[in-house]
Amino acid sequence: MEDTRRADGRSPNQLRPFSCTGNPLHRAHGSARWAQGDTVVLAAVYGPKPGTRKGENPEKASIEVVWKPKTGQIGRQEKEYEMILKRTLQSICMLTVHPNTTTSVVLQVVGDDGSLLPCAINASCAALTFAGIPLKHLTVAIGCGVMENGTVILDTNTAEEQQLKSFAHLVFPNSRKSVDSKEPKEKDEEFERGLITSVTHGVMSEDDYFNCIERGLAASSRISDFMRKTLQKEASSVDA
Amino acid sequence: MEGVVVRGEGIRCRARTAAAYYRSYSTPALPAARRLLSSSNGVEEAAALPTSRQLCGKPRSPFAPLDLDLSLSLSLRVSTCAPSPRRRCSQVPGDVVLDLSEMTNQTIKLGTGLRQVTRLIGCTWDLQECDTIQATSAGMLRLSKPNKYWVESSQKRYIPSVEDTVLGIVVDTKPDNFVVDIKGPNLAFLPVLAFEGGTRRNIPKYEIGTLIYARVVKANSIMNPELSCMDVTGKAAEFGQLKGGYVFDSSTGMSRMLLSSPTCPVLEALGKKLSFEIAVGLNGRVWVNAPAADTVILVSNAIMRSESLSGIKQRAMVENLLERLS
Repeated sequence: MEDTRRADGRSPNQLRPFSCTGNPLHRAHGSARWAQGDTVVLAAVYGPKPGTRKGENPEKASIEVVWKPKTGQIGRQEKEYEMILKRTLQSICMLTVHPNTTTSVVLQVVGDDGSLLPCAINASCAALTFAGIPLKHLTVAIGCGVMENGTVILDTNTAEEQQLKSFAHLVFPNSRKSVDSKEPKEKDEEFERGLITSVTHGVMSEDDYFNCIERGLAASSRISDFMRKTLQKEASSVDA
Repeated sequence: MEGVVVRGEGIRCRARTAAAYYRSYSTPALPAARRLLSSSNGVEEAAALPTSRQLCGKPRSPFAPLDLDLSLSLSLRVSTCAPSPRRRCSQVPGDVVLDLSEMTNQTIKLGTGLRQVTRLIGCTWDLQECDTIQATSAGMLRLSKPNKYWVESSQKRYIPSVEDTVLGIVVDTKPDNFVVDIKGPNLAFLPVLAFEGGTRRNIPKYEIGTLIYARVVKANSIMNPELSCMDVTGKAAEFGQLKGGYVFDSSTGMSRMLLSSPTCPVLEALGKKLSFEIAVGLNGRVWVNAPAADTVILVSNAIMRSESLSGIKQRAMVENLLERLS
């Protein structure tokens, strides 16, 4: 495979520098500021608060997502993001622990340079953990694009997304740390892994799509290690 | 340091000096009458303290004494070998804490932050049950011998559990209950008769916004929690309305630290020089009262700042603040 260089000098599998700040907001019950290169999203979680909205199942907790764009009015694109996030977060939260409550997740886009939806999903997952909402596992989201010659590039930025004929945003569960597991690691990976959410733009062949999933899976373990370190640092700094 | 207790007794004590404060935690259950406190001004009497409760903060792990609350504590039959999780290690949601398939015939009690996951793996002719305990929140895994596990973390919101002492604010009055906000997922009810010597004729008149120090009597995920302003024997025991003073929010981890025994360094250092009164609710609320307003301000600022500091730094910070005052 030839060494394709991308416009900003990264190799196909190279991700932009990540950073996550825990609890930057004092009034929110949990918050996180997740940055991937120039794409920055601030997520705030409020709850669980008593009462559910009309039309929601009172036997489960409900999650409400509000997406605030950086500029402009709230339109269909924002509503779509809200729906995708709501479905993703509903699949990781344990909804039966606090029935008849509402948890609100408010996302503010601070900077947008491609891979906005994965950045937002990572930020909201971190914010939910800081708020103490019980979760089944964490989510790790990554954006993959397919170039003309078939190479899969990770963590696309805006320029690449505009040029590529297709790209996908994929969300995986985090890699699990097992304390004393007798089963071999590969078998573990196969069972526990799966895809939580996949949003594709453009047209790509099946093979390309499965390539994207493979590459994304491999990269997600790096992101999930980073997330684990951030959460542990936050937990231990409070624990003193 | 294992089995670190998460909850202290939460008794509101009028701490005049450090010695007095120590006394509240080191003496075992006192006989009925009054506890004497010494202060820089002389001997003062404190309110009567309950006998049945142990004063020495033999802190309790976050398990209900009776396993009534099935959602919180599960007893499981597991396999023989001794479990070997790390005693104190930090967990992230989804981490496997214990693999139950290697342990037989052991009862394990799970506290907050853990759940049991049973999954069938393998193909149709080789189905195996994979039984694990996974973490649902990020925090430190704690073990209290012989068999209690929980994940300890610090949040701004509070998950009610039985026998916790909390500070609530009245938001509504109903004919049978006061509706109280305890920073939890549901509003709590405080029955109108749950006071010492409470009858229909002498119902306390609490307005909206009253601060109340109460004890959680019933807490499960389905119903609204229920509070009481009496202890188990039916005495008032410092519960009830807290008048005057200043209330502020802290995290639940901070409240546990303030109530831990031996005394938290911040409170000890403050108690040596100042005289004040403090009530700590495990739901992340702290109430401070003192005769002078600047004492109240100083104490609350010191407590708010001491969250992420170690013991030595806390003392140093308090010294700094006290120097600036004098």
